[in-house]
Amino acid sequence: MSHFQSSYQRVARDSCFTRLDIRSKLFMICAVTAVALLWQNLAASGSLTLGIILVALWAGIDWHYIRSVLLLSTIFGVTLLFFHGFFPHVGIHQLAGRTTLTPLFTFPAHWRLLGGQSLYREGLLYGLSVLAKTLSVVLIIPVGIFTTELDNLIIGLVRAGLPYKIAFIFSSTLRFFPLLLTRIQTITEAQRLRGLALEKMGVVQKTHSYAKIAVPLILGVLLKSQMLELTLQARAFSGSSERTQLHDSRWGPGDYLLCACSTLFWGGALIAYFGWGIGKWRAKKREGE
Amino acid sequence: MTKPIAHFDNVSYLYPGAKVPALKNINLEIHQGEFLGLIGPTGAGKSTLCQTLNGSVPQFYGGRFFGQVIMAGLDTVEHPISELARHVGLVFEDPEMQLVAPSVENEIAFALENLRVPRAEIRARIPQVLAAVRLSGTEKRHPQELSGGQKQRLAIAAALAMRPALLVLDEPTSQLDPLGAAEVFATLRQLNRELGITILLTGHDAEELAAHADRIVLLAGGELVAQGTPQEIYSRVELLAAQQLRPPQVTRTFQLVRQRGVVIPQLPTRLAAGKRLLHALPTSCPTAKNEHVAAPDHLGPALLAIKNLTQRYANGTPALHNISLEIRAGEYVLLVGQNGAGKSTLVKHFLNLLTPTAGTVTVDGLDTRQLETSELAQRIGYVGQNPDDQLFTASVEDEVAFALQNLGYAEAEIERRVTVSLRQLGLVAQRTAHPLSLPRGDRARLVSAAMLAMEPEIIILDEPTTGQDYRGAKYILELSRELHQRGKTIIVITHHLYLMPEYAERVIVLGKGTILLDAPLRRAYHAKELLRRTYLTPPQAVLLAQELAPPAGGSAPLHVTPEEVAACFLPGGGR
Repeated sequence: MSHFQSSYQRVARDSCFTRLDIRSKLFMICAVTAVALLWQNLAASGSLTLGIILVALWAGIDWHYIRSVLLLSTIFGVTLLFFHGFFPHVGIHQLAGRTTLTPLFTFPAHWRLLGGQSLYREGLLYGLSVLAKTLSVVLIIPVGIFTTELDNLIIGLVRAGLPYKIAFIFSSTLRFFPLLLTRIQTITEAQRLRGLALEKMGVVQKTHSYAKIAVPLILGVLLKSQMLELTLQARAFSGSSERTQLHDSRWGPGDYLLCACSTLFWGGALIAYFGWGIGKWRAKKREGE
Repeated sequence: MTKPIAHFDNVSYLYPGAKVPALKNINLEIHQGEFLGLIGPTGAGKSTLCQTLNGSVPQFYGGRFFGQVIMAGLDTVEHPISELARHVGLVFEDPEMQLVAPSVENEIAFALENLRVPRAEIRARIPQVLAAVRLSGTEKRHPQELSGGQKQRLAIAAALAMRPALLVLDEPTSQLDPLGAAEVFATLRQLNRELGITILLTGHDAEELAAHADRIVLLAGGELVAQGTPQEIYSRVELLAAQQLRPPQVTRTFQLVRQRGVVIPQLPTRLAAGKRLLHALPTSCPTAKNEHVAAPDHLGPALLAIKNLTQRYANGTPALHNISLEIRAGEYVLLVGQNGAGKSTLVKHFLNLLTPTAGTVTVDGLDTRQLETSELAQRIGYVGQNPDDQLFTASVEDEVAFALQNLGYAEAEIERRVTVSLRQLGLVAQRTAHPLSLPRGDRARLVSAAMLAMEPEIIILDEPTTGQDYRGAKYILELSRELHQRGKTIIVITHHLYLMPEYAERVIVLGKGTILLDAPLRRAYHAKELLRRTYLTPPQAVLLAQELAPPAGGSAPLHVTPEEVAACFLPGGGR
């Protein structure tokens, strides 16, 4: 099976999202991203992330994909929590509205490097909030992209004013990333067939082994790209936007509705934020302050 | 003769950096409505010649180009590829890499959209071309849901939709199973005969080209060596042999008959003609009762054992169903079946690349689930279908040394084994070259060299002859014979049945995930009806042998090679 073609993660089933134009879905992505970036409060950001996960599942995004994103984000999350928890920057102090933060625990003073260092509650909350924002942005994108046929994606992007060549490259890139992953798997399998015991290696050895894959990976992809370019030219592809289309973009009432809902959500979030402080960081008052 | 639609005038071409020209002084005309076959060994310049027709050579590759190619009245150097694409439909070898759209109808529409054909016209052409390639009703399907033969026919449909003056197909059947290849040839024949489409096809299918082409052009070393009707070219067996090519088996058979002193005015190149000639000549040969089909007696104990193996993919698709078999040490087994029959899936269980859904697989009594792939690889050498998926180092010698380093050999021993392995596969001269810079045939041999350096006791060759010319295929199979004679157990998967009688002893026929037949090679090759059920066709020598059945009744001799069939003809016969 052609990995180039098959591995674009188009959702397997129809939903209201699959019937919408990519332009309205892009508008939704922008609105949700703006709100995610606006909110600082962990409860609000976390609720938004949870809501997006539910919407993604409803839209037919594969749970395995979502789980992979969540697993990958744990590395990012641990890093965030470590730095913000132990080394809160001045912005966290400003958000908390005070110079001294709430220590949850402190390492014994005689420990090397971390001795005497405290883990702060506000730093942890801030780190979790940033993680939730990031997840919201990362997970809303597939709701728009993976629910769109590649052909409709290109048509929609061109209708949105993007040059055809750029839209085609964008859609090709979407198909190419999974190709890279498949190619890594293939090379790894070939190495195992030549006695490479990855399962017996330590982390450093494994990393070294994976690093060696980079060159054949890139070379292989370049060769495939060259073949693809040859094929495209043989099909009269020149990258010109002056071309006809078999299908037209499908902008309908649902798209108007989604745009209206996205605008309301974004506008409502702004008003609630500035009017009643919903989504703002809520500093916990300490006794005596 | 009809007017030429393409004209090569003294064309020579060198790829960038090349010292040897890929094409040398080519003078050729392609005529309206003809079916032209282009044959030649690997590296002859066939693909290069094809790509001059749409301007990819030299416009895409660069290099130095001499002479002139006029296609549909346009000079292919002066007009852009996108303009020439209106006149030349190009279909490549790999059906996977030339499908670019998310649905069948979009695939066909893609080129038309680029050519700014109005939407109504695109919609009108889609059903026309799908009907022409017998893919009607697949409009909304994803191209990857189609079989290999269907994908290649879709690529042909996409090219046809542009209504080109010439349809060029560069080895379009080399990666297809016999069913897929037959589908493609039937489609091309129909397009040529009924719609008058001019076709240029390159390939190694001597039997198919002899049956379908109007004219054959033989290319070697970039030069046009000979051209003529299939009868004229394929009957020149010595000329073909000098270029490491083979004639159809029927031609080879009657050439051998002629060498026995039988007068044959014209060697047949098509099976039907061969059968007619066979019945007109006196023959005498033993019947099946006298045929030796017993299992070889040199075999050791069971080395590979499969018991009640069932494999279902994650999506529930059944791949193998309740398979049981044993392969003994020292056997040479041929595994055949159409694409999707489960051949590769079956052998991947020996290496624990797949875990059985049910049942057990053992290697020398050890359950493969208890062993890592890297451990099994020391005993079982597996060469997969696509060499490019198995090359990952920066030089030919590094590629061979990779496994030896993993197995902990000393430097001196690694050096010795690398040299021996490269010599066995004829790759010593390319020792420092980058693996991906080698021609496909050499790349496939390099993977074999890397695997053989480990000196495994079991060797699995998965489609080793795909993409190889006759010489390359024989090279690999001769090596497999040598290894077999040294006591190795060999398993070969291939669709090229005509290559295997000299090598394999036992044939396992798979169909829809089950074993349809497990028999000595002679019996298996003559199980014509059963092979047909899995869309396999016996070699022409077998089909000729079956014509040798006594008219009064009785079985045909279980002959499988042209030499055996030719031996049945009485010397001094003929007209």
